[in-house]
Amino acid sequence: MSVYRHDYRAYSGRVTPMWARVGVLVRYGLAEAWSSKITIGLGLAAMIPFIIFLIQIYLANNPATRLLVSRNNLRFLDVDAEYFLRALEAQCWFALPLMSWVAPRLITYDLADNALPILLSHPVSRFGYVLGKFLALFASLASVTVLPCLVLFVYQCDCAPPGWTMANLPIAFGIVAGTTVWITLLSMVGLAFSSWVKWRTLATGVIFAAVLVPAGVGGIFSAVLRTRWGMLLNLPVMMTQLWQRLLGVPEVVRTGRDWSLPSAAILAMLIAACLVCAAMLHARIRAREVVRG
Amino acid sequence: MAASANTLTNRLKQQPWGLWWLQARRLTRIEVRRNLFSWRATWIYFLAFVPTIILLIHAVFDRDGKLAMSEDTMVLAGIVQFYYIRLGIFFGCLGIFSRLIRGEMVERSLHYYLLSPVRREILLLAKFAAGSFSAILLFGSAMIADFALVYMPYGTVGHDFVFNGPGLSQLEAYLAIAVLACLGYGAVFLLLSMIFRNPMPAAMLVLGWEAINPVLPSILQRISVASYLRHLMPVSVPGDGIFALLTVETEPAPAWAAVLGLLLLIAVVLAYSCYRIRRLEIRYTTD
Amino acid sequence: MNDRIVFENVSKFYGEVLGVNRISFSIPPGITTLVGPNGSGKTTLMNLMTGLVQPSSGQISIQGIAPGEPDTFFRMVGYCTQFDSFPRGLTGYQFLFDSLMLHGVSEYDAFRLAGEAMERVRLSDAAGRKIAAYSKGMRQKIRLAQAIAHHPRVLVLDEPLNGLDPMARAESLALFEELGRQGMHLIISSHILDEVDRISDRVILITGGYLIAEGNIHQVRQEVRDKPMQVLVRCDKPELLASRMFSVNHCVEARLHGDGKGVFLRTADVDEFYRLLNDVAVEGLVKIEAVAPADDDANAIYNYLIGSDGGAS
Repeated sequence: MSVYRHDYRAYSGRVTPMWARVGVLVRYGLAEAWSSKITIGLGLAAMIPFIIFLIQIYLANNPATRLLVSRNNLRFLDVDAEYFLRALEAQCWFALPLMSWVAPRLITYDLADNALPILLSHPVSRFGYVLGKFLALFASLASVTVLPCLVLFVYQCDCAPPGWTMANLPIAFGIVAGTTVWITLLSMVGLAFSSWVKWRTLATGVIFAAVLVPAGVGGIFSAVLRTRWGMLLNLPVMMTQLWQRLLGVPEVVRTGRDWSLPSAAILAMLIAACLVCAAMLHARIRAREVVRG
Repeated sequence: MAASANTLTNRLKQQPWGLWWLQARRLTRIEVRRNLFSWRATWIYFLAFVPTIILLIHAVFDRDGKLAMSEDTMVLAGIVQFYYIRLGIFFGCLGIFSRLIRGEMVERSLHYYLLSPVRREILLLAKFAAGSFSAILLFGSAMIADFALVYMPYGTVGHDFVFNGPGLSQLEAYLAIAVLACLGYGAVFLLLSMIFRNPMPAAMLVLGWEAINPVLPSILQRISVASYLRHLMPVSVPGDGIFALLTVETEPAPAWAAVLGLLLLIAVVLAYSCYRIRRLEIRYTTD
Repeated sequence: MNDRIVFENVSKFYGEVLGVNRISFSIPPGITTLVGPNGSGKTTLMNLMTGLVQPSSGQISIQGIAPGEPDTFFRMVGYCTQFDSFPRGLTGYQFLFDSLMLHGVSEYDAFRLAGEAMERVRLSDAAGRKIAAYSKGMRQKIRLAQAIAHHPRVLVLDEPLNGLDPMARAESLALFEELGRQGMHLIISSHILDEVDRISDRVILITGGYLIAEGNIHQVRQEVRDKPMQVLVRCDKPELLASRMFSVNHCVEARLHGDGKGVFLRTADVDEFYRLLNDVAVEGLVKIEAVAPADDDANAIYNYLIGSDGGAS
């Protein structure tokens, strides 16, 4: 063919900025995550405690209810830091099964189908890919943790007498900080383990194990060596202590042993866990084909 | 009646039992090799032996003169009840047994087994045997090691406790618990992996079910592995708060009834698994 | 003894999706090619044949034995699937050895048969290497070796030439031909029709889950009456032959061969055509060197019966 008849031209139109392409991954990630009936079921299940807590606020601020409930049980209707801690804990623990179901959907399909080489052959970096998936997961988890808790807080502000909001503003900060730490950690753990396990069918179980087994190991460590430092492996204990401190709830010592950990140690442990997860993702999210056999 | 019994006996005699036994042995050998001797199996070793490592540290480096054997006995019972039954054996068996059939489906290699001249029931039972053998070997030996590491540092007192006191019977009970837990969880997870394309949500429900089981009506408590195992615990561990759920015995039962009940549960689950595998079809999809 | 592969009114539905519908045939020993476009149901048919999927209705048997009796069935059947996957971590030799051990043969025989199968597919040099390190062609060969290692009487091959280079393809075809000559029953599905056609005795055409035609290739071609048959005649005066042939009304098309020493003639009545050609030869007007059907093969049948639907791949 003569040169003058070569009419092929490379695309020379406008391209979206780099950051916007991450948004494409987030959009597709969210669509993938919420296309499953189980995701929707888990999301709805996470709304059950929210609705119960919402009703409790309504009752607590309803004069008729307060009159109906005997004076001795009025504590049940208190909406204070402890109430928000209970709500935060309930919502945050509902986020765990949701994360263990959603995270593998975001990553393992790409790995199992050898889609990573195709995805990464586009002008999207490995960091952009992980960030897109992370934001999709983070947003999904935020919808069942920080959002419902803040809605509860706002509703209480609306129902409570004037002055309550300003007096309890640190609770709102505590809610945002506590849930952000939790869902950041969960997102990192979910993505990291999903990228290593590859099988979606196994990944959910492995993520659960990654949270629960270290807790058991930490418990053994503390019980055998008679030290509280084993609790640094126990995510439920660590997070409960962190949330209590962020919301200003006094810590209750049970079983005669003080497992209280310094906040700095808890934060250092959580940061270390996130760094390990980042290293796992760095090692695994690569444009390479997996040959079966 | 007698004629039909004779016919049944004759039919049973005509079956190639020798070949089936040979095939089952060979399948078990192949599966055990894959369960125990691959890099992918290291996490099961970790699950089984991590308490052993902590107890080893305790035995070697943590001898500060404040030894309390009764306290360590409670710690060991806690390790078995809280860690091995609820986490170690649970997740270990989940990994081992869901890989046997569903894992092969995911890796798209199950058809090689189905294309061999092996009855599907033999295939399933051999895989179950291999999974059970691997799990029992790992968790059983880990428990023996844990037991030894708890009492060895106490010297003659520990020796007396083990050989002249209740020590050996406690070890036997722990081993029986490990064996039954491996068989029970193994059968359940093998079945779940055949029923569901993704057995994990169901397995997580089992985890929750096992935890809340003590507060359920007694009829529902019978559909649980851990509830049978609770009756076999030689040392009762005081639970507090949410941990009380894992230790409390709401429906006390004799040990023989617990063992028989669990074996019956395993037999029923395996029989249904055999029925399922006869209808299993190869349809590989991305999981 | 029944030596046939028999499908009796077999249907398979995946939920509401049709796999195959009311398939019936009875295949004698020899090499049979299964032809159809992608998604036509070839693999489903093979999976049904070997019990990997079970029919929604109908009966299947190979040499009188149903796939539900694996102890006897899989002793005589070997299936080389399309699934490009293997049990993890095995070498080629271990893969064959483990497979043979499940047949109940002794360790010595398993060792010998594994080596023999490796040799047959020319993979002996790679026997000790992990399958994960094999090329696509080698993986195809090791699957073939696994299917033939236990000396089956029936061999089912799903796209066995995929991923093979021309040399390996020729070797595989020679192997299939040899096995067919030895009396083995071979069912081959392949898209490389030109090559498979040379060795196959029979053809089964399937599209959209329905059986379109089944039988000896020449018989099936003759059954396709609405497509005039094309014959290549090599001769010294192709133009004269063409004009002579056009004098009869069953000859519908003539096209000169590129080298000018032959003509492609298309006829609606092949028997009448050959009778007339004999007359021409006897008359001595044209010196005929060779006569060969030009579209009497699986490829042509495929194009006529399936390709025109636009379903051919």
